[in-house]
Formats: sequence, structure tokens, C-alpha cells
Amino acid sequence: MSIIQEISEYLQKGRAKNVKQLVQQALDEQLDPKEILNDGLLQGMMIVGTKFKNNEVFVPEVLVAARAMNAGLAVLEPKLVEVGNEPVGKAVIGTVQGDLHDIGKNLVVMMLKGAGFEIYDLGVDVAPSAFVDKAEEVGADIICMSALLTTTMPKMQDCVETLKERNLRDKYIVMVGGAPVNDSFAKQIGADYYTPDAATAAEVAKKAVTEK
Amino acid sequence: MKIQEFAVTVSKERVCHLIDADPSSELYEEILEELEQMLPIAYEKIQPCAVLEFGDFKDYTSFVKESSTEALYEIHSIGSGMSEWSTSLFQEGNYLGGMLADAIADDYLFQMDSEIQKIVVQMCREKKRGIARRLEAPQDVPMDIQKKAFEVTNAEKEMGLKIKESYMLDPVKSVCQVYLLDSDHTRFCVEHDCTRCQNYKCKLRKESSVCVKVKTEEKEYKIYGSTKQTLYELLLKHGIAIPAVCSGKGLCGKCRIQVLEGEVCPSEEDKRYFTKEEIEKGFRLSCQAYPGTDCTIELSQNHSGKFFVLANEDEEKIVAATPGGEYGIAVDIGTTTVAMMLVEIKTGAVIDVFTAINPQNVYGADVISRMEASNTGKKEALKEKIRGILREGVTALLDNKKVSVARMVIGANTTMVHLLMGYSCETLGVAPFKPVTLDTIYTTCGKMFGDIGTNDFEIILYPGISAYVGGDITAGLYALDFDKRDGIAVLMDLGTNGEMAIGNKDRIMVTSTAMGPAFEGGNIVCGMGSVEGAISSVKLNKDQVLVETIGKKPPKGICGTGVIDVVYEMLREEIMDETGHMDSPYFEDGIVLSEEAGIRFYQKDVRAIQLAKAAVRAGFETLVSKFGVSYEDIEEIYVAGGFGYKMDIQKAVGIGLFPEACAQKIKAVGNTCLKGAVKYLCRENADEVTRQLVKQAEEVPLANDKTFFESYMDSMYFTQE
Repeated sequence: MSIIQEISEYLQKGRAKNVKQLVQQALDEQLDPKEILNDGLLQGMMIVGTKFKNNEVFVPEVLVAARAMNAGLAVLEPKLVEVGNEPVGKAVIGTVQGDLHDIGKNLVVMMLKGAGFEIYDLGVDVAPSAFVDKAEEVGADIICMSALLTTTMPKMQDCVETLKERNLRDKYIVMVGGAPVNDSFAKQIGADYYTPDAATAAEVAKKAVTEK
Repeated sequence: MKIQEFAVTVSKERVCHLIDADPSSELYEEILEELEQMLPIAYEKIQPCAVLEFGDFKDYTSFVKESSTEALYEIHSIGSGMSEWSTSLFQEGNYLGGMLADAIADDYLFQMDSEIQKIVVQMCREKKRGIARRLEAPQDVPMDIQKKAFEVTNAEKEMGLKIKESYMLDPVKSVCQVYLLDSDHTRFCVEHDCTRCQNYKCKLRKESSVCVKVKTEEKEYKIYGSTKQTLYELLLKHGIAIPAVCSGKGLCGKCRIQVLEGEVCPSEEDKRYFTKEEIEKGFRLSCQAYPGTDCTIELSQNHSGKFFVLANEDEEKIVAATPGGEYGIAVDIGTTTVAMMLVEIKTGAVIDVFTAINPQNVYGADVISRMEASNTGKKEALKEKIRGILREGVTALLDNKKVSVARMVIGANTTMVHLLMGYSCETLGVAPFKPVTLDTIYTTCGKMFGDIGTNDFEIILYPGISAYVGGDITAGLYALDFDKRDGIAVLMDLGTNGEMAIGNKDRIMVTSTAMGPAFEGGNIVCGMGSVEGAISSVKLNKDQVLVETIGKKPPKGICGTGVIDVVYEMLREEIMDETGHMDSPYFEDGIVLSEEAGIRFYQKDVRAIQLAKAAVRAGFETLVSKFGVSYEDIEEIYVAGGFGYKMDIQKAVGIGLFPEACAQKIKAVGNTCLKGAVKYLCRENADEVTRQLVKQAEEVPLANDKTFFESYMDSMYFTQE
């Protein structure tokens, strides 16, 4: 088994220590950092994501795998900067204004990272214009919004409207999620995608940016 | 009133449950360890506080049916420490820690709620008020009632809380409750009512039991389950397998059912798969549908494929176990399916059921291939497979019931018994077909399964009659009272082998005949099982061919009932003569059943059907003649298993599978093996009676039998009687 494969295997088992060690070893052996990232860390995370969607593994397994991925990334990141690695895409994400729940959003952040995205997490209670300003500032591809209450859902529409007002609607992919949100609501407010869970969100986001 | 002292101990089990960490998971120990380390820090970060005040309800009276104008408003919070901690753990990449912190917070809030309920009741008592119910926003009342509660309780000043314009409390780990008061001060409905709550995926949802009436084209069943199970799970548990390609994740849209009565809220997935009108008519995806109340549902035609594993068709009521009662487990090990029932011995009442696919199927679909596998080194593996699924069944049946088991009775064909006991099948599969034993087998749970956390109960295996007429038939005979009846009856179990028995309390004769799998779509060119897209009905009218498929899907092949139909119709339209010879051009090219799908029924398919039906008919006639009676002397003909239910008796008679004179006597009786196992559990003299049945059963060997051979040749044709 190659060291890259080993990284993927250990990541899937959630062994942060081994992953960290192996990433370092791979770098010492002069392996391409991009290969370590794509074929090792991200590939492993993708397998875990698929297994989660197929009910083969549960939330805890995904959490520890992501933690292992993070440990590997910490070692790898400086090298990735050196070689000028481009992320799959850039995503601005947050929970909408008036809403303070962040667990769901945090899980999406975790899965998006695992799909190779660069993430700008604005936290909770984020004003519609703040999403747009940040996206403009960093040159994002996607804006992701989360809402846990029926009373905060309309803020998602406000953000889409803000984009339209500023003639930026077509520049960004807009994704929405959260307990009361569904497909028809997403269509109704003019968002591009609704996804029911974090693993699907990452999958759809990746597909959307590659097709963009 | 303000409370700041709470005696809450976080439940580790519930925290794990909240994040989906199951004790069987490899990670469980690691998660527990992490949780142990986090808890002391959590207790420091948690700052519990609750405020309660009575207030008016006048702005909201239009939302409730009760006439009350007063409410008790309550807000409780644990402060911002835990949510801040969770967020920062997530940012560090410690996702497990972040989720655990969030779950600890939720469990704490949840337990505070129970503590507070006691105070709520006490406060209302003192005020001489009852509680009509607890209102949930936004289902029962608008969200802005949280603002009202916030003001009435003075939460800002008392607790330092804030409220957002969306009426969400800040910090986020805060909860608002509104109790609607009642002048009847004897009842206090303070609990959250899970049966009315629409948060079906809530991990803390409490179960309550429901009765679901299931209507199919043929029959109506009653099954019992809980509000916490989807209808799909409930049906599956009772042996009604509904096709679901996505295995119940709401993705394939195949498991649709129609709710005729009762409350089953539409899911998000339903909105994707059905129109508004269909949802109003009650269409749901069963894998996403939770029964809110007792209800009646109808299964569409496409589900009638794999039914009837159970003996439970006769609306046997499933009741709760009573402590101190005596219980037994009845088991039917079929070649394809396994069905188990937990039964109260005294009353025969069914407490719970378990069904599964026989996991030995990876070693072949029929008894012959299983025997071969056993003879080529897979004996232990086959034994472990079947014991594994039985162990699983016992555990599932006894789960949380605190009952002990007196005994378990198993009915199975001779091959299944051999494989279960780990006996060699070397002499079973070849002439003279000698089994290791046919006697009643007595063993124990400990010997068969090892220690599985139950008491060590007795296990009894039904005695068999011969290598091909096994304990499952003995069980059927016992279930149908062959030991008591004066009149003569026949039992038939038709699969790849046709097993038959005839007799009454004085005398019994049995036989077995090789049918081949034609009636299961087996050796038919375009044959298939009874699943979606299978042609199940055929009508011929001159040059026109009208077919119906299961689930009204584009045709993919033809199943057993379709096969009987097409043969019957070709005879009726006289495009096939009584010898089974199809007219030109059908003789050469077959008859086209579906042009676009290229489905044809060929001359060689007719031949396969002729062989199968002749085997059954000749076996039956030989048995009747050896027994020395005529058709008129037979009172009833019982057809066991799923085949009996699916078959159109008139057409089966039409192609000569059964004699015309017997048509009125044929009855579908379902899983007689399981029924026999239940009866064995409940009758004290069962051991003796079943041994007696076996002892008096005489086997009629058909090989080299002149009567059989002649009858076999005669039955090959489609002569009118």
C-alpha cells in the first residue's frame, strides 16, 4: 500500500495521529503536496461521506475522520501555499440574521473542507449584506446559508434579493439548508440548491463549482 | 419565580444517543472517554436558570380550542458557555468535541425541563388551576408567544437574556414553554406530547403504540407497532416487504402506499414525489411516513410480490407482554425466509414478530445447492449463518421485554434442520436419500447459541417424515388438526418441490414431487420473480395481447401468475392445442407479450409448465389413489405458502394443475409451519401428538411408481375433463 493510500485508510478510521505522521513522512519523501491532499486526505473523506449517506457509518465516524483530516491539513497547509495549490472553490457560509443555531452549519463547514473548499465562516446571526460583501471580498464561488426557524428563513430570500439589487445574482451559486427549509422553498426564493444534509451539501457544492 | 439550583446529572447514554453513537460502534469507548473528560468542564460552563410567571393568554385564544385565558410562562437557559465552547471546538477542528458539547447542553436543558415541570404542577396546584396542555410554537401558537413569555417572566432582567426579532432567545441554549391553564385543577398535562409533535426525526421522541390496518388486494391485516417507526419499517418487521431500492432513505420513490384513514403527516420527500392532489388523497412514501395515530393504509398492487412470510394473516392481535407470564418462541426456517414469533404460552397471544431473509442464500437459492455447498466444505459456514440470524431474532424479540423464555420450537424442512444442526448432508442428497435423523431434536439455547444474555431455554425441532417431507410439513399437519379430523384433507406446499399430505386422524400419507421452478418464473425464457415490471396478467383477444404488469411499470418479464394466465389464454383462444403445441407462427417465434421490451412466451416455456403442472397433478392423483379415496371424499385442500395466495384458482384448474372437481375445496392457508410451531408451544401434549403424526405418516415414493408415471404422462396434456 502506498503512503497516500495509507493516509486515506487511517483518515477513514479517524486516526488523527497516524494521519499527521504519515502526511509529514510523505512530505519528507518529497511527494507532491497536491497529491497528498487530493488522493490521500480528500479522497478518504469522500469515501467516509459516501458511506455516511449510505448508512454504512454514522455521525461519530464522520466526526473523527474529519478531525483526522484536519490534523493532516494542519501539517500540509504551509506546503500547499508554497506550491500555490488552488482550492476546489471558495465558499462563504453562515447562519442567517436572527438565527443563532450553528451545529448544522458547522457540520456543513466540516464536509465542505473535506471536499477541498476554502471556507469563510461568518458564524451566526449574519446579515444578508454581510454574506454578499464577504463573497465579493474573497472572490467566492458559493454562498451557503443555514436557518433553523421558520421565522428566520425569510432572511435567505433577503440575501438573494441583495444579490439581485447589486447585479451579482449570476456570479454566485446560492445554497440553502436547515430544518424548516426544503426544495420548493429554495426554488421559491430563487436559490440554486437545497440539500438535506451536510454530506450531500458538500457533494452538490463540488459538482456545482466544477460545472460553473 | 426564579430557580437557579438544579440537581441535574448529564446522562452519558443519552448524549451518545443524541449524536448517533451506538454502543456497538467501534468508536463508542473513545467517545465515552472524551465525554468523561469534557463533563467536569461542562458543569463549570453551565449556568442554569429558570423563570416562571402566570400571565394572560388573551392575544392567543383564537389559536386554541380551549376557552382558557390564562397561561403559565416559563423560560430556562444554561447560559452561553456551552454554545461558545462548542463553536470554538468546531473551529479548532475538534468536531467530535463540538458535537458532544452541543449534545451535553441539549441533555441538560432537557433534564431541566423535567425538573421544572414538577414546579409548574406545584405552582398551578397552589393557584387551584389545572393544565390543559403544553403549547408548542410554531405548531400550536405563533412564534411571537416567546416574546410574550420573555416579557411576562422579565427574563431580560432576571436572567440577562435577549430576544431576537425572529423571537429566538439569546443565548441559543434557552427554552421557552407555555402551559395553557385549565379550571379543572385535577389534571396537569405538562408533558410534551410526542404523538402530536411533527418532529419525527427527533432522537428523544417517545414511543406510543399504534395499530395499522393494512389492506391489500387479497386481504386485510392488523399490525401493531409504535409511532417511532416508519410504516416501511413496521411492514418489513411483519414480513411485508415493500420494494425500496434506496433501502428506505426516501430517494427512490418506490415504497409508496396510500393512507385511507388516520393521521400520517406528509414528509418533505412526499412533496417531491407526489402532486398536491396525491398527497391529499393520502399517498406517502412509507419509508418516510410515521403513523401519528391508528390508521388504515392500502398497499398498491406492486407490493404484492413478497408477502405472507408470516402466520399472522388472521389478524392475530399483538399484545404487550405481562410480567410473570410464560413465553415461547416459534420459528419457521424456510429455504428463503426465516420467521419468528414471541408467544405467550398460556393464551397463544403473539407478543412480537421477527422476519428475515435466510442468510444462507449466498450459498444458493434452493435446498440442492445448499446441500452441495455443505458437502464441499461450507458446512460450518452454513451453520453459523442460520444460527446467527436466529440469535439476532431472539435478541430482537426479547429486547426490553424483561420476559424469560420457556422454550423455542423450530419447524423446518429436513435440509434446513441438517444445516442448522451441523449434520452432514452427504447421504441426504443422493439416493436412497438418507437423513442423519428425522426424530424430534431436543437441545438448549446454550448449546446452540452460547451465552446470549437470556435464560437457558429448551429448543425443540419438529420431527420430519422423510428427506423431502420435513418437519415443516409435520408442523403444517399439526396446525391443521390432522391428528383430530375425521374427514379427509390434503395439505400442499408448492415451491421448487411440491410436498403433499393426505389423511385424517387415523391415517396419513405423504409424498414429494419435483416441480422445477417454472411457477416461480424460474426456467421460463423471459421469466422473473413477482416484482415490479413483471407481467402478472395476460388477456388474449384474437390478435390482440393485453398485459398488466406489477406496479403498472414497463414490462420486464413474466412471473408465475402471468405464466398460468398466458397458458390458460392460449388454450382458450385455441392457438395452442391440447398437447401443448402452439400454432404457427407462435411455435417458431413464441407469442409476443411486449413488443418494445422483447418479451415472448415460447414453445419451450409451455413445455416447462407442462412438466411442473404434471408433476403436481400426478403426485396428487397418486396420493389420492394410494390412499384409496376419490375426490368427493376429500373435504378440503389446503395450499400453504405465498403461492396459494397469488394463484387464481380458476385458471390453475383451467390448465389442469388441480382437478376441476376439487376447485371449490382449495383454500390458501399461509404459513402453516409457523402456525404449527406456535401450537406446539402452547399444547402440553404436542410432543406426543407430533411424534404420533410422524409415526403414522406413510411415505409414498413416486420414483418407479406405475400409477404416478401414467398419471404424469396423462397430466402433461391440457385435456378438458
